[in-house]
Parts: sequence; C-alpha cells; structure tokens
Amino acid sequence: MKAMNRRKLITASAVLAVVGLAATALPAQAAEVGVTSTQIKLGMTLPMTGTASLGYNKIPGAAKAYFDYLNANGGINGRKITLVVKDDRYVPTEAVAKTNELILKDKVMALMAPLGTANVKAVATSVNPARRGVPVLFINTGFSGFADVKKYPTTYTVLPSYIMEAKIMGEYIKENFAGKKIGLLYQDDDFGVDALEGFKTAGVNFAVKVPYASGSQNAAAAAGWITKFKAAEADVVILFGVSSATSAMLGVAAQLKYAPQWMLGSVGGDATTIKLTGVPAGVLYNAIGFSPVPATTDMKDEYVKFFSDIYAKAVPGSAFDLNVLLGMNTAFMTAQAIKAAGQNPTRKSLMAAIDSKGATFASSALVPVGYSKTSHVGLTGYWVGKYAPTGDLAPIGGTYVTYTTDSGSGPVVKSTYKRPAMPAKGLPN
Amino acid sequence: MKKVRLLSLLSVTALVTTVLVTAPTVANAAPACDGKSPIQSCVGVTSDGAPYAMQVPANFNGTVALYSHGYRYNVDIPAAIPLIGGYKITNTPEPVPGGNAAVAQYFFSQGIAILGSGFARQGWNPDSAIKTNVELIDTFKKQFPKTTKVVAWGSSLGGVITQGLAEKYPQLVSAVAPMCMADNITPQLTMAGDFLWGVKVLFDPTIKGGSYSAGAAGVAESYADLGKVFTVMGKLQAALATGAWPDTASPTGKSLAAAGVPSRSALLLLGLMAGLPTQSAHFDSVSGPEGALKLTFPLALSPALAILENGTNAAALAVLATQDVEAQAGGAIFDNTKTDYSARIEGERVIYNAALSGNTVIDALLGALSAANPGAPRAVANPAAVAKMNALHTNTGKINVPTVLMVGLADPITPAGASQRLVDLYAEQYAAEKAAASKAYQSSRSYAAPTNKLLMLWNTPPASYTKFNEAGSPITSTPAAQGTNHCNFTSAQLVLVAKSMVQASNTGKLPSGGSFYTAIRKAGNLSIDKGIRAPWLKAYGNN
Repeated sequence: MKAMNRRKLITASAVLAVVGLAATALPAQAAEVGVTSTQIKLGMTLPMTGTASLGYNKIPGAAKAYFDYLNANGGINGRKITLVVKDDRYVPTEAVAKTNELILKDKVMALMAPLGTANVKAVATSVNPARRGVPVLFINTGFSGFADVKKYPTTYTVLPSYIMEAKIMGEYIKENFAGKKIGLLYQDDDFGVDALEGFKTAGVNFAVKVPYASGSQNAAAAAGWITKFKAAEADVVILFGVSSATSAMLGVAAQLKYAPQWMLGSVGGDATTIKLTGVPAGVLYNAIGFSPVPATTDMKDEYVKFFSDIYAKAVPGSAFDLNVLLGMNTAFMTAQAIKAAGQNPTRKSLMAAIDSKGATFASSALVPVGYSKTSHVGLTGYWVGKYAPTGDLAPIGGTYVTYTTDSGSGPVVKSTYKRPAMPAKGLPN
Repeated sequence: MKKVRLLSLLSVTALVTTVLVTAPTVANAAPACDGKSPIQSCVGVTSDGAPYAMQVPANFNGTVALYSHGYRYNVDIPAAIPLIGGYKITNTPEPVPGGNAAVAQYFFSQGIAILGSGFARQGWNPDSAIKTNVELIDTFKKQFPKTTKVVAWGSSLGGVITQGLAEKYPQLVSAVAPMCMADNITPQLTMAGDFLWGVKVLFDPTIKGGSYSAGAAGVAESYADLGKVFTVMGKLQAALATGAWPDTASPTGKSLAAAGVPSRSALLLLGLMAGLPTQSAHFDSVSGPEGALKLTFPLALSPALAILENGTNAAALAVLATQDVEAQAGGAIFDNTKTDYSARIEGERVIYNAALSGNTVIDALLGALSAANPGAPRAVANPAAVAKMNALHTNTGKINVPTVLMVGLADPITPAGASQRLVDLYAEQYAAEKAAASKAYQSSRSYAAPTNKLLMLWNTPPASYTKFNEAGSPITSTPAAQGTNHCNFTSAQLVLVAKSMVQASNTGKLPSGGSFYTAIRKAGNLSIDKGIRAPWLKAYGNN
C-alpha cells in the first residue's frame, strides 16, 4: 500500500492544474489518442470488396475528398484529418477484427461511418467502443436501436431510422395506392424488423411479404421472389433491402418483363449503383424513391454543387451519387463536430460537442437531426420522389416536400425545417 | 465445399501430462527424496491418497511454486470411443503445466522449487483438491524449513482450485495465477449441458444427456452418449455445406429440415445459446477461400464450423463431467425448464444472422427449442442433487493476494468469461477498497491507496488464421491458433505468467511499466488491453 500525505497530494494537483492552465493557452497540444499537434486520425470500416460492397465502397473516397479539401484549407485548428479505412467485406466478425486494429494499432481518435446493422452490433458487443470511450460517429445504418443512448452511449446515428422510412412510405401508400395489393421484400434481420415495425405503425397491410437472409441475395433468389409476388398479384412491390438485393430483383424483373409499381427504400435505392449492375434505367422509371438529402443531380442546391465540384476534382470520372453525397456530408458533419470540440479536442469533448451543438450543424440534409444530451437520433425524415427516365431520383412535382416522424408511434408530418446555409467555403465555423 | 476432416478435437486430454516423478510411497508419510543435486526430487502421498512430487534446486531461495492440474476424467474411456478412447484414470503428480521443461527451468534458474500433486480424486474435485494443496504446502515447509513463500498456479479446473486456495487460505500464498480458469460448477455445466441438450432434442433423441444411472450402468450410458455425440458431429460436419440433417434427427429436427432450415444454422444456434466461441482452432469466422465462397464462407459457414470444433469439446465434457457430478450429487443436475433460449441469443442473432439463415429460421429454431414444444422436452434436475452440487466448493471471486489471470479469448471449455467475471468483481472490490481508504483518511489524515492486485492477460486469436488449400477447402491439420482451444499456451506465455507471479510474490506488486509491456509483446499474442471484454457464461444471464 502506498501512502501519500493528502496535503502533498493537493499541492501536487494544484501545480498540475497551473501547468494545465498554461498549456491551454498554447496552440494545438496532443492530449488524446489519435490527436497530435498536426493530425487527427479517424477510422472507418465498411465493405470495400465483395458483393455487398456495391456502391457503399464509394463512401470512403467521398469522405476523403472532403477531408482533403478541408486539409488543403488549413484543417481544423492547424490539424489535418487523416482517415484510415479498412475493408470488412460486410462480415461482422471481420468488422470486429478491423475495428480492433483501428483502435489498438492505428490508435484512431474516433470511428466514423461504419456500415451495416450486424457489423455495428458486433463491434458494439465485441470491441465495446462505449467501454473504451471511443466515439462512433454517424453510423451507416438506420436500425433504430442504435439511437439508444443508454445502450450505445458513444454511438451517433445519422441516417433516418428504418422505422421512420417505413412509416413515411406507409403514409405515401395510404394516400396514393389505397386498395392496391402491396408486396414487401425485406432483409430478414434487424433491418427488416425495423421496416416491419414501421409499416405496422403506419397501418399497411401486405398481400405478401418476402424475407431474404442477408448474403443470400442473387439472381436465382430474385427469380423466386418474383414468383411469390406474381402469385400474390402484388400491384406495388416495395424493395426494402440493400443495393445488391434491389439490383438483383430489378435485373431479373427486367428479363422477365415483370413490372409492378416499384417502391425503393433509400438503402438500396441509389440509381447509379443499380445501373452499374446492368439494370436498364427504364426499369427504374416511375419507381417511387425516398431520400433525406437533395437529389444528386440537383446542381441548384448549394451543398450538392459544392460537394459535387470537390468530388469531381478528387475522384475524376467517378459518378456523384447518393453514397458519395452521404459520405461527404458525413465528413462535413464530422469536421464541424471536431471544430466544436475545442482547441484540443478529446473523445469526450467531441461527443459533448455533438450533444450540445449537433442539432445546429450545417448539413445537406433537408430534414433535421435530433441530437441532444439525451438523444443520438440522426436525421428524422425524407422527401418522396420518382425516378426519371434516366433513372435519377427527382422530387415529385419538382419541389422537395419533406416529411418527418420518429421511431415510435408519432405521426408523419410535413416538415417546416429550414436547412442552415452552408458556411463560407464549406468549412466548419 | 469439400468435407472437413473430423479433427482431433478434444484438447481436454492434453491436460493429462508428462510424468516428472513417479513412485509415490505410503500415505501421509514424510516425502521420499533422492538427495540429488542440482535438483533434488521428492515424492510422497498425502493423507487423502494424492501422490505428489517436489523438485527443489540446490540454490533453493525459499519460494516454491505449487501447480494444480486441470480436469482429468474420472472414468477410463474404452479404446473404441473415437477421439478420446484409451484414456485411463491417472493421478500422476504434475508440478508444472504439462511437465513443461521451459517452465521448470525458469523456476530452477531462480532458485525456486516446484510442487504438485495428482490429487486423490479426478473429475470435479476442488473441495478435496484444495485440502490436498493445504496439506502439501505444510508438508513441503516441514521438509524444507527454509521455505518463506508459496506461489500457486493452476490450469482449467486447477485454476478454480488455485483461486479457491487463495480465497480460503490467503495466508498460505503470496501470489497466484489461475490460468484458463473454469467457472463455478453450475455455470460451467450449464454451458455444456445446454449444448448437449440441444444436440439431443434436435439431432439424436436417443442421447441420454444426463440423469445417468448410478454406478457402472451410468458409466456405460455415458460411453454410449459419447459415441452418439461424436457420430452426430461427424454427420453434421459431412453435411455442413448442404445443410442436410442427420438421419438420427428427432421429429422436431425433421420438421425443421422439411421447412428448409439448414442443419448448420441449427448447430450454430445451439453453440450460441450455450455461449461457445465462434472462433475455434482452425476457423476464424473471417477468412474465406478465393472464388465464389470468399464472402459466403465467413458469413454463412465458418461460424458453424467453429461451433462444430468447439462444440465437440463441450459435448464431451458435458457427458463426462455431468456423469461425474451426478454421481457425486446423487441425481440429475442439469435443469433448463426455465431457460429462455431466445433471450440467450438476443445479441448474437443479429451478428450471426446470415449464418443463422435469417430471422425466420431463427424464430423457427427457437420455437422448436421452446418449453412449449413437447417435441423438445426440457431437462429436469433432481432438487436434492442440485442442492448437493451447489454445496460443492464455489469461488466467490474475492482477490486476496496478487493474482495473474491468463485465458484464451476463444477457449471453448473454460470460456474467457469466467476470468472476465473475476475482473469485473475485482473492479467492484477495488472501488470499495478505495472508498474505504478515503473514509479512513477522514480520521487518520493519511491516505493509503489500495494496491492493484489483479493482472489480466488475454491470449488473443490472430485477426485471421483459417487456411485453405488450392481447391478452396479449409485446412484443419495445422496447430490450433493462439487464443483458441483449451489452455493453448506457449512456453513463453507460461514463463511470463510464472515470472509475473514470482515478481508479485517478491515485491507485493504486480509487474507493470515499459519492460513488462516489452515482455508481454515478446511472449506473443497476449494483451492487457482493458477494453477487452469477454461475455460472462450464459448461466449468469447478464450478457
């Protein structure tokens, strides 16, 4: 047992406090894992290869494009942002291994934009960022459970929850497809559980529901799905799955000339990604789609124009699509959080900044976020659009009409949200 | 995918170790010593009939390391039984883990003696083994009066015995190291019992799975169960890619098969609800062969293969340990009448959703295994036998002396959660000690900070380790990966534990600092990262 006189202890503490006070007056001191005087290191795991990577593998390049722009403009308080990206192939156990590497070997300050409900859950259970105090910023999954602050205290959602999306879809169906037979394709996991709950809350009755196990989506499976939808004589078919499931379904539907009224969930609804798999643009024409951010072709939107210009320079020849816009927007929000975390950001101050100021961060999204000390809910709604003959999603009637709701039993309401103007040069204030 | 060769799965047998010294003499007599130098060997028998061995270097410095070996079967295993057949009950003394020469050499080089018995009774034996160790310490001290310090360590069940010794007799030991420590008997046998019950009700209802008859008849029943379990595992392995069910499947199993539930998903679910690791000796649940299975293998197949490897261990232990403890307790001790298997896998069903074939299949399996299904009758224990089992030695988790824990994160027999429990309980104990110190300061005006008494060494599996041949089939002939299998430690890791324990004994403090971290790195595959958290065994119901 080590004995220390308490008075000496207090004196020593006082000296340290003075030293600490002096230190705060100095520029950029390193006092946190992943933070040096010149750099802040962030980490990201998501599928970069494999069948599940379709479209989502553009997110890191998009985020890096914004961070490179930011770094070229002085970074944040003199520090440049470095993003370390690891390929988890959409395998939960691999996400665990790669996240461990990011935290223990790469020593990142925070995790950013990990993708997939199962992966985020596996990391939360096995790597335990909460126990380590590691922030998990703006996750790429809309599973509503991750907004539970008590269970995931360091995790911040950004996408609207799947429940919200299903509720807003449900309202649209009630208003526009009353009396029609509705079919639903959904992923047979928590992604789908959320969807089912949202549709149930919205009062949607399905003529047929077709689940698919994650990883089983392919053309052969899609042919089986179509058989079921045909048998049920579905007028409207909702594809509430990942991009590879949507693409498989639409590709086979085109071959079989199966053409119900399609309704695409946002997760698998990116037109560029779908068309890349060989699905003709015409198959998408008049399909209903949903998005929380402006149409990626809307160059009148200041955020879309800004991000599109940066991306075109950073990754020439790569199409600017929904995954790119969301990736850059996430990086943009992350930069604002770091800036708001103070001169010498720590993991704690970073999370405190989002809790206190996150709801006012600039963002391309047309719906508000719900961040506060007691809520890690991200975006809270969507606008409804139709796919044009080119396959691009555009707002119905040419104007964005946004709807917001919650993950509970709250109503779906038209939003009056006024998006903050983009800060000068797209840099955090 | 080609068939995966059925592996030599039972690492439990590895606990039966090399004989260093033999020829015990009369019970409770003074040890018989050979008087040789530089190492003097002594043998003897304790009052309860446990043969023991001592080895004492000529430069004996007063410290002796007492080792407690792990679980040894309490019955002979006929040669005809696959994988573990031919085992004979033995109480050969084991003064260092597995007769490890590097470990013995380390102790001797420091002038430290080694000591260990083979215990009087095999099977689940902490009650008698702790008494044996107490007597052994006394005998050693009388034989070698220069003795000043005793450090105690043990593996698996020996970890339970070691921890129990430190809890009940802290004055006898100055530092301890329970390695790959088993949990207390109820959570440990619940893990094994859950898996065995699931195998029985889904894959072969003729497996008895417990409630064995008394005496030789019960032993014969356990032999029959071992054969059936291994046969089922072989069939599941052969059908892993197709998902076909064994021809011995129960009516419940057959109806699941008819509904299109793959047998591999059923097997995986059994493993998850029992709390078995999804990484095993050869399957990391991450890697896939080049080609079409690159993603499908880790996502859908590897976790089930890992459960196949780990589950065979668990099922064998379940049969033999259940038979042994039932014999001690006088009746059936496994009871799952109130177990909610759905709650058990609440987290895992999301993570392994693809390998479990989605929520629809998971719900079908849980429905089949629910207490409401008469086709999957729950196991009912004998209350008197349970009471008797619970009266057997139980560790509280109190840390009295400097303690070094080491465990593989994917140990399938003694899951890392058993050690995690001690880590968590010690965090509470330390906080209480700190609060008491602060309170004491109010009157003494002198603050004595409590000293940390626990060092946790996690033996971590590599990020990926499954190997494939050119045809894309997994290779299972390689040594088990670090962090997997039971008590799968290298000599370097064991020596590091020994050194840490001895240093703590000498200084009263566990090692820390730069040179210690370098030693950890050199030992390989070890981590002291406080962020690592292994789930407690499922029986605790708090995961």
